[in-house]
Amino acid sequence: MTTIAPAQVTTPAQTAAEPVSPGPKGRRGLVMTFTLAVIALFWISPLALLVITAVRPLSDFIGNGPLSWPDQLTWSNFKDAWGIGNFATTYKNSAILAAIKVPLGVLISAMLGFALAKLRMKFRRTVMFSVFLGLTIPIYITIVPVFIMMRSAGATDSIFGLIGPYLAFGIPFEVLVLQSFFRQIPDEIIEAAKVDGAGDWRVFFTMILPLSVPALVTVAILDAVATWNEFLFALILLSSDAHKTIPVGLLNFQGQFANNNTGLAAGILIAVVPILIAYTLLQRWIVGGLTAGSLKG
Amino acid sequence: MASTAAVPKLKRGGRWSPWLFALPALLVYVGFLVYPAVSSLFFSLTNWDGLSATYDFVGLENYFKLPSDPVVVTAVKNNLIWTVVTIAVPTVVGLLLAIALNGKVHGKPILRLIFYTPAVLPLVSIASIWGWLYNPQYGAINSFLRLLGLDGLAQAWLGQDSTALWAVMVPAIWLRTGFPMLLYLAALQGIPNELYEAATVDGATRWQQFWHVTMPSLRPAHYIVLALSLIDSFKVFDMIYAMTYGGPGTSTQVMGTWMYFNVFQYYQAGYGTAIAVVITLVAIAVGIPYVRSQTREAS
Repeated sequence: MTTIAPAQVTTPAQTAAEPVSPGPKGRRGLVMTFTLAVIALFWISPLALLVITAVRPLSDFIGNGPLSWPDQLTWSNFKDAWGIGNFATTYKNSAILAAIKVPLGVLISAMLGFALAKLRMKFRRTVMFSVFLGLTIPIYITIVPVFIMMRSAGATDSIFGLIGPYLAFGIPFEVLVLQSFFRQIPDEIIEAAKVDGAGDWRVFFTMILPLSVPALVTVAILDAVATWNEFLFALILLSSDAHKTIPVGLLNFQGQFANNNTGLAAGILIAVVPILIAYTLLQRWIVGGLTAGSLKG
Repeated sequence: MASTAAVPKLKRGGRWSPWLFALPALLVYVGFLVYPAVSSLFFSLTNWDGLSATYDFVGLENYFKLPSDPVVVTAVKNNLIWTVVTIAVPTVVGLLLAIALNGKVHGKPILRLIFYTPAVLPLVSIASIWGWLYNPQYGAINSFLRLLGLDGLAQAWLGQDSTALWAVMVPAIWLRTGFPMLLYLAALQGIPNELYEAATVDGATRWQQFWHVTMPSLRPAHYIVLALSLIDSFKVFDMIYAMTYGGPGTSTQVMGTWMYFNVFQYYQAGYGTAIAVVITLVAIAVGIPYVRSQTREAS
């Protein structure tokens, strides 16, 4: 009922067709394109300014003002920012974290999603409700106990201490999306496999997972973005510079570079570039996941 | 369950099989989310400072203290303003953009990419970008106003009580418009063209078509967008923390930041968790209809 039914949307037959057709289509199309292009220009201007500022010397920026076209170009802002911002370390930490957390999170969420969608599970609705309820719970209700748990486990100031809480807060959304995708897989093919003697695990690994690649990829991408961007747990659990992730590192860096506008711009860019590249390359999947109705959170 | 008739095959794995699949995720979920959330309830009933080995049980004292804390009053007000504005504006703008992008427009993919891009950036980087744009001397926003000859409007956007909260909401809106836009776009593409054709035959104006065809067809999308925005807006923390640190003064404090400061700066972990408990209960209450609808739908 509240879903955007996949059947509706995966057939983008009339995607390009204009719903309302009176009037000269061509001219209205151009006017609309122009209007949207102007809005888009404003929309993207913060990022455009960031790029322009990052590639000019500070003196040029101060002399000509932030809205001017640069007289000179330089890469030195990036070099300075990279070193002082400790980005080699924060990149590595964020990457390791995402590389462990994302596959693990998707796997255990898929397993739970499979149990909820296709197995005869007792208390199924109760489990489902309790897990989905996690979507509403703010991270900060858990930080005091999590901090205590991690401290007594000796896992503060380690990116490995972040994995548990990150997994837990990723589960509700991932399970929500995956179980709804699994549900669309016809029971008949599962039955056929069972008749041939396949157990639940074989069905899961050899049928459900391969058939669900689009959903798994969508969830993995969104989860990777969320992991890369997470701030509060990283802020409270990580203390030494050697263990910080990108968001926490960026915040420190921002303080250090408050008066160096061009260096700050370069540093911010360094922090966001991987996400921007990944998103640009993978946006088909993200948008595809959305239009397949699987994305509800 | 729809597939009750086909049950025998599902029995094969045995009664415990579903639980084996569910267990890893449930253990993590309970261990790192449910259990900590529930133990916060306990801490909120103590006067723990966050450091000492000992603390006293003080009952509901922390909760009684809340209404007389002027910062809590400010925070609640800010949470409400934040919620209303960061739901209303992105939803309306997202819908308008989606409708425009669903029409006959050139370069749709690139436009869609541009409008959705802020939604994937790390929140802290968005905060940094806008903090940089708002810089009183060298920020692009004041420079732009001066360029337009509006020198009088240039000001320390984040540095004064009257503008700080609004200034922090702008990047939040920038960030949050992409998601409703994409969802509405997907939903609009699902509306059959015949509905519009029939309406045209009946002589409906474009405006009438919008109200009587488009809006009702978008009801499921409205529901999802509003429910998720509501759940999300209540949790605001990162943006405020990274941009204004709750200041100047306490003018941009929200419940999330005030909780953080109490726990990690003022050594009032008991009181801080009480604040977190209150906002969590509100968030859960607000989110329950959505959670229920998702659970029901899956049954």
